Amino acid sequence: MNTQTKNNYKPNYINPYLGGVLLGLLVLLTVYITGRGLGASGAVKSTVVTTADAISPTLAKANAYMGKFISGDRSPMYNWLVFESLGIFFGGLLSGIIFRRIRKPWVEHSPKITSKTRLIFALLGGIFFGAGSQFGRGCTSGAALSGSATFALGGVIVMLTIFGTGYAVAWFFRKLWI
Amino acid sequence: MGPLIPNGIITGDWNFVIAILVGIAFGFILEASGFSSSRNIAGVFYGYNFVVLRVFFTAVIVAMVGLLYFDYFGWINLSQIFILPTFWPAMLLGGVIMGFGFLMGGFCPGTSFTAISIGKIDGLVFTVGLYLGIFIFSESFPLFKGFYNSGNLGHVTLTDVTGINAAWFAFAFVIIALAAFWVTMLIEKKVRKKITEYKF
Amino acid sequence: MNRNYLFLTLIMLVLAAGTLFLKKTPEYKQIKPETLLWDIIQPTRYVSTDQVAKMIIDKDPSLELVDVRDVNSFEKFALANAVNVPLDSLLSPVSQDYFGLPGIKVVFYSNDDIAADQAWVITRRMGYGGTYVMKGGLNQWIETIIQPKEPREDEPYTAFEQYQFRKGVQMYFTGTKVENTIAKKKKVVVRRKKKQVAASGGC
Repeated sequence: MNTQTKNNYKPNYINPYLGGVLLGLLVLLTVYITGRGLGASGAVKSTVVTTADAISPTLAKANAYMGKFISGDRSPMYNWLVFESLGIFFGGLLSGIIFRRIRKPWVEHSPKITSKTRLIFALLGGIFFGAGSQFGRGCTSGAALSGSATFALGGVIVMLTIFGTGYAVAWFFRKLWI
Repeated sequence: MGPLIPNGIITGDWNFVIAILVGIAFGFILEASGFSSSRNIAGVFYGYNFVVLRVFFTAVIVAMVGLLYFDYFGWINLSQIFILPTFWPAMLLGGVIMGFGFLMGGFCPGTSFTAISIGKIDGLVFTVGLYLGIFIFSESFPLFKGFYNSGNLGHVTLTDVTGINAAWFAFAFVIIALAAFWVTMLIEKKVRKKITEYKF
Repeated sequence: MNRNYLFLTLIMLVLAAGTLFLKKTPEYKQIKPETLLWDIIQPTRYVSTDQVAKMIIDKDPSLELVDVRDVNSFEKFALANAVNVPLDSLLSPVSQDYFGLPGIKVVFYSNDDIAADQAWVITRRMGYGGTYVMKGGLNQWIETIIQPKEPREDEPYTAFEQYQFRKGVQMYFTGTKVENTIAKKKKVVVRRKKKQVAASGGC
């Protein structure tokens, strides 16, 4: 009996279509209240700007990119997306508690690779995603999801290129996942 | 009537409370749908788990169709919502880079936050990567400043560019998404038979 | 399971197809003819030139003067801080931004008060509140503010009071006229509906 349940272990995720409908309604609600959609990478950008500003204010202001986001009176952390991203973390925590998925820190990886490989590629993936999200003016949630949902041309471009590239290069990275 | 905050129906003081509440709902949905696991997410590219496609496209079509109805009932003024500006060359490149990042990291920014919250070190490392990536981008920004700002089409929607009514785009998206849901359901069944290492 | 999905698929298809048949609703709500008629016969939409002058001098932030004459006349002479919305472009989306702002009194004026009154009727019909008409238009403005007549001796005391007020106002507008027009060119305080939320950087 015990092994039976172990082999048939199913993480009790909610139905993906239910998740999708809820997410769609959330986008709708967010647009209805704030006039714009969701986001995530903007919070990391604010953190980058804030830390750069704290370490070396002159260099940060002189930087052609970061300087745009520094205003004298308010910290860049005083930003809608930063608060929203804090919420994302707590929302994940809440769901993790309810569905009992919280564990001690661990690394999830395909059995074909080591934890170390997984972490190296996670870091690389993060770097790529971070840089790419700045070129794309948003990541999957900000540009692809909220952008497409509001019929923005840019959102559709980002969505198609992310998934298109994903399928195009999937073969090269297959060892990481399957 | 809507959007509420830009029209002053809800004052700006509530802005950050709403931000946190929206974020909590967002994080909850992502985690509950299984987006806190990079292997679930990457599955969409190998055919063993299409959860990303299902959640993402359902969300897009629900929001699209919903916006059109909101507009029809006069609940929201579409001219007042934020439309992502289009810089097509930078966006094409950004999408390609993010595609690579997606395959290597298995997360996107929002999902990596929820991965951290349930104790995944890979999620944390991915977020550190995001930080480094944006930092590197900012530091090397002068190199590609011209490229970054090129091809500015402004805040355009699909309707602005093509002149076709937004409802047709929504309809097309719905058809494509629904077809994809049914096809991927079959693909997933086939692929899963072959894969043994991954628990579903 | 599959039957449920089939059902959901159909619902989504019907909802999406439904959007194709939605007719674009007008962005403003029209009011009933009875209400409009009632509003038209009320004199409350008129503000006198004295009241307007006082508001200009007090720099009343709730005042938004709208000049409905054509562009040429507007450039030759206009009241301080007025914006020009020629009657024929009243319905353009840009012009709409001036109307319906909470707490703002929009005062229309033209040379007489006919064109201003017409503008008022149209905005009222579009459902905007808080719009007014300057009684007598610029002609009245000249007569009462720029060249006020001294009342005859047998007129009541209030007439003299009014005359005093107008003389003061006249000094304000004619005496400081040059300075005024320069200031106007520098900065016209225009209130508009906010177009877009300042979203700082994408996602």
